[in-house]
Amino acid sequence: MVNGKNLKYSEKPIRVLIAKPGIDGHDRGVYVLARAFRDAGMEVIYPGLLPTPESIVDAAIDEDVDVIALSLLNGAHMAVFTKVMKTLNKKKVKDIAVVGGGIIPDEDKPKLEKIGVTGNYGPGTPLSVIIEHVKMRAFAVRNEKWGRKKRAT
Amino acid sequence: MGKKEKSYLGTLERGIKKGERQSIARAITLAESDPASFSTIIKAVYDPKKYMHVVGVIGPPGCGKSSLIALLAPKLVENGHRVGIIAVDASSPFTGGSFLGNRIRMQDVLDNDKIFMRSMASRGAKGGLAMGVMNAALVLGSAGFDYVIVEPVGSGQADVDILDIASTIIVVLAPGLGDEVQAAKAGLMEIGDVFVVNKSDLPGAEKAERDLRYFVSTSPPNGERQKILSTSVRLKRGIEELLKATIVHETHVDKDAFKIRRLRLEASRIAKEIFSTKVDELAKEKEKWIADLSYTSIDPYSAAERIVYAVESRDR
Repeated sequence: MVNGKNLKYSEKPIRVLIAKPGIDGHDRGVYVLARAFRDAGMEVIYPGLLPTPESIVDAAIDEDVDVIALSLLNGAHMAVFTKVMKTLNKKKVKDIAVVGGGIIPDEDKPKLEKIGVTGNYGPGTPLSVIIEHVKMRAFAVRNEKWGRKKRAT
Repeated sequence: MGKKEKSYLGTLERGIKKGERQSIARAITLAESDPASFSTIIKAVYDPKKYMHVVGVIGPPGCGKSSLIALLAPKLVENGHRVGIIAVDASSPFTGGSFLGNRIRMQDVLDNDKIFMRSMASRGAKGGLAMGVMNAALVLGSAGFDYVIVEPVGSGQADVDILDIASTIIVVLAPGLGDEVQAAKAGLMEIGDVFVVNKSDLPGAEKAERDLRYFVSTSPPNGERQKILSTSVRLKRGIEELLKATIVHETHVDKDAFKIRRLRLEASRIAKEIFSTKVDELAKEKEKWIADLSYTSIDPYSAAERIVYAVESRDR
């Protein structure tokens, strides 16, 4: 257990906010992911259904998460994921990574990558692939966030 | 401490004093995981003159603590307060992971400048609180939040650690949790200032309240009568009464005495933490020496005394 120790930045549990922005109530997927992330040793924050992009960004800031994981199955991902990224930029948040998933056509994936939403996995993706991707992004932002204040512990 | 780190912590300190959410949030992360940096921050931002009222909302899992907080917090804001909420959920003993779900119930009220909500994983701490809870409350207090609501992990009868940090304790119960024998038990049932039977729209609520009234009001531990209420989140019933009971209790709290008590408990907790870090460091330094100690013929107490002696003489 990690309680009470002076932790190195790489040892702190990864904090991830999973959210379904927009009008989409299909939450089975996020519950499966929540469970998978939890079992991978992450601290998973789920704010419930139908949050706005603004409230997702506010929650991510208050909870100081490493990663926001967005899931959408209703086809509105281009509009809504873009809105989340814009809100993050507007609030000058640079140290939170954003990953996506859902029913995302192949031609949209490069566009999402371009605005900074990576992963974009569809149904049938092994959970281990998603977990590895989230870890990779989390450690990348942590290196930026905490790497400069590395200490000898 | 490097120059860069110092200036980073300085940025956080200024941010906290201005009440900036990003700085508050980052400082709470340090509170949870990096005592060394955190102590630098808190020394800079803590204002001993300020009083922050900590309300503990405790009770078994699923009885409606988060939902009640979601109704109570905006009412406290209407009364002119700035409200911080710290909700703790359990960490897995196997993987260290955690599902923090308290935001789900509060989503609708969190879009408010005067409310700051943070979910926290218990990270192996016992007693219902996480190590960072009080530290996080100190950050919120320094950032101008004068009411801090702490929701521990859904608690059992013996999870009474909240007593150390909260001056008003609301115990939330629901119908169907047991008969009057449960209401007579020690621990959880003694420490409440306000008792709430939530889900009062469900059958059995009246009996639950009656059982509670019988035992709780016959044994006031602090001479003061404890308040018993019933609420229903679904019907939004009893919320005004809960607000009133909370505020009335707040006005009765001897704030200076509580502040001193809280500071004393906090200081000794931190001192223990510092000492235990030192023991860990010593153990690392003198791994062989410690290992030898436990395998020779001495008893555990004498071994412990030698370790304490070693830490003390190292510091001199």
